[in-house]
Amino acid sequence: MDIIESKSWVEWLITIAKFAFCFVPVLYILLLIPMERRGAGFMQDRQGPNRSYIKIPYFGKIRLLGYVQNMCDGAKLFFKEMFAPKGVSKFLYYVAPAIPFAIIFISPCVIPWFGPMVFEWGGKAVTISGAILDSEVGILLLFGFSSLSAYGAVLAGWASKSKYSYLGSLRTTAMTVSYEVCQGISMMGLLVLAGSFSLTDIVSWQEQHVWGIVAQPVAFFCFLIATIAETGRAPFDVAEGDPELVAGFHTEYGAMHFGMFYMGEYAHICIASFLVATLFLGGYSVPFVTTETMQAHMGGSLAILCGVLAFLFLAFLHMMHRYSKKLLASKQSNKMVILQEYKLYKIVGWLAVAVFVAAGVCSWMFYNPVQTVVDGVLTNTLGAALGTALIHLLVLVVKSVFFCWVWIWVRWTLPRFRYDHIMNLGWKIILNIALVNLVVTAVVAKLLGGN
Amino acid sequence: MARVIKQKPMTIIERLYIFEAMRGLWTTLKHAARGLFRYEQLPTISYPEGQPEINNGYRAKHRLMLRPDGTPRCVACGMCAAACPAHCIFIEATQSDDPRIEKRVMRFDIDHLVCVFCGLCAEACPVDALRMDTKKIVFEHRTREEFVAHLSDLIDWDPKDYPEDAQSQMAPGGTKNAEARKVWGMEVK
Repeated sequence: MDIIESKSWVEWLITIAKFAFCFVPVLYILLLIPMERRGAGFMQDRQGPNRSYIKIPYFGKIRLLGYVQNMCDGAKLFFKEMFAPKGVSKFLYYVAPAIPFAIIFISPCVIPWFGPMVFEWGGKAVTISGAILDSEVGILLLFGFSSLSAYGAVLAGWASKSKYSYLGSLRTTAMTVSYEVCQGISMMGLLVLAGSFSLTDIVSWQEQHVWGIVAQPVAFFCFLIATIAETGRAPFDVAEGDPELVAGFHTEYGAMHFGMFYMGEYAHICIASFLVATLFLGGYSVPFVTTETMQAHMGGSLAILCGVLAFLFLAFLHMMHRYSKKLLASKQSNKMVILQEYKLYKIVGWLAVAVFVAAGVCSWMFYNPVQTVVDGVLTNTLGAALGTALIHLLVLVVKSVFFCWVWIWVRWTLPRFRYDHIMNLGWKIILNIALVNLVVTAVVAKLLGGN
Repeated sequence: MARVIKQKPMTIIERLYIFEAMRGLWTTLKHAARGLFRYEQLPTISYPEGQPEINNGYRAKHRLMLRPDGTPRCVACGMCAAACPAHCIFIEATQSDDPRIEKRVMRFDIDHLVCVFCGLCAEACPVDALRMDTKKIVFEHRTREEFVAHLSDLIDWDPKDYPEDAQSQMAPGGTKNAEARKVWGMEVK
């Protein structure tokens, strides 16, 4: 019972609520699939999948800007029959897709989602870490988890008794191993500077000094390339290189088995982008503003946040308006149906703008929490601490979405490398650059008398 | 005689790959930004609901021009069938009721499953009877037989759809039909 009584109920509530962050990669899958498909369309001057619709009685058809297509595809995958080809190793065949999918729930544990919350409760200063598991070796744990997902590909290739799958999994193994080395070494320079393996410490170092991308630009590029290779995405997707290997390690999989590989891949991108954002883009820290300044002017910070959101909705409304005008002038026979749907979006958009503007003005005018010193620590009220956490979380999400976009962007731009080119790049170029970078960083850090 | 094309050797910047990759990324970024922020400027036509604009010179489904009295202009000479590279035009002639004209067409079938839309038939026609300016580009039927356009189908067009074409306006229902009928001079039963 001591352990329960050691924390107040608010602390317990927040600590348990933090476990919801385990589902962030799953939510990112929902975001990434339309982003990938429509983004690919836009890059190729297409519209991307946008034709599926839901029929709403007394209203019309809604397409949710093409999102319904993804729901349809998901439903199709979900209800397809799961089958195994003859002669597969049954147990491993069925277990393999679960491995990358299971890892997406473990990996988010060590990522700091917001800065340590410091607030006053019951006359005491309470500190809650931003990560679910604030480990001293957080980054190593994260690397361990994310390299585990290669086992899914390896087992799938081995178990499915197909030479294409087997070749694909061989390539995955070799590539993952070699790029893990590059990834680890290119990151070490930053760890030398921050002097810690804990992700929270790395982020707070970046908050106090400069972002990792400024301190370690070379390492950033090496790390980004190595991470793209490690997620097995184009241009490094030799493991499922379709012209050579049908579909690589998941050739023999269909239905939700394939779906789990698919989701595992996207979740891996999500985790990797969070990692890049945390290591090199200052994680949850807001650019040019320290957390202390933000907490001292909580109402103003929230007002700015609301203003940004309202602006985004206004931009959305403007695009809607322009597109509706063009559509109304066209001769398209279903234009009234689409315009009906857009009317709904316009209503939602204007409501959101009104709500955000009102909330922003209110917080600007009336929300002015006081900071108090409890036990020698400068603490905030619970509301201000939650507001800080919210802003931090949104900033981290924006950064990671940007990196998710980088993954998609690179995939639809660069052609696939040949396998020996990948090995060349990994072992002979990136590894050497990363090593030189590490040595230079260590020497400079020692000379300047850092950590 | 084989021709050897000399390829320019790559410069050092190009061989580094990373800068060229950046250039490519910039290009795709521009296209993606257009799709996202200028969605209405995408060249895609959402097809069955939106139809493409068709030029006047486009070789679409055929039609047979009409005399002022409403009979097809075709004199069943068979030049179009002879010119057709796909052999998809089938013509049978019969005696014309009009004493000024020797033959009239009894059967005029165009098999649109075989037709290659080359336009040679319209070129070959000596009396400007066969044209391909209907702008009908959709051929959707259930059976093979329905793809064969018969005479009744080919002469079934409305002069209102061709407001700028003087020849079409001389057909029954057109604006110049009355005067053209006077010039033509004769009622044919």
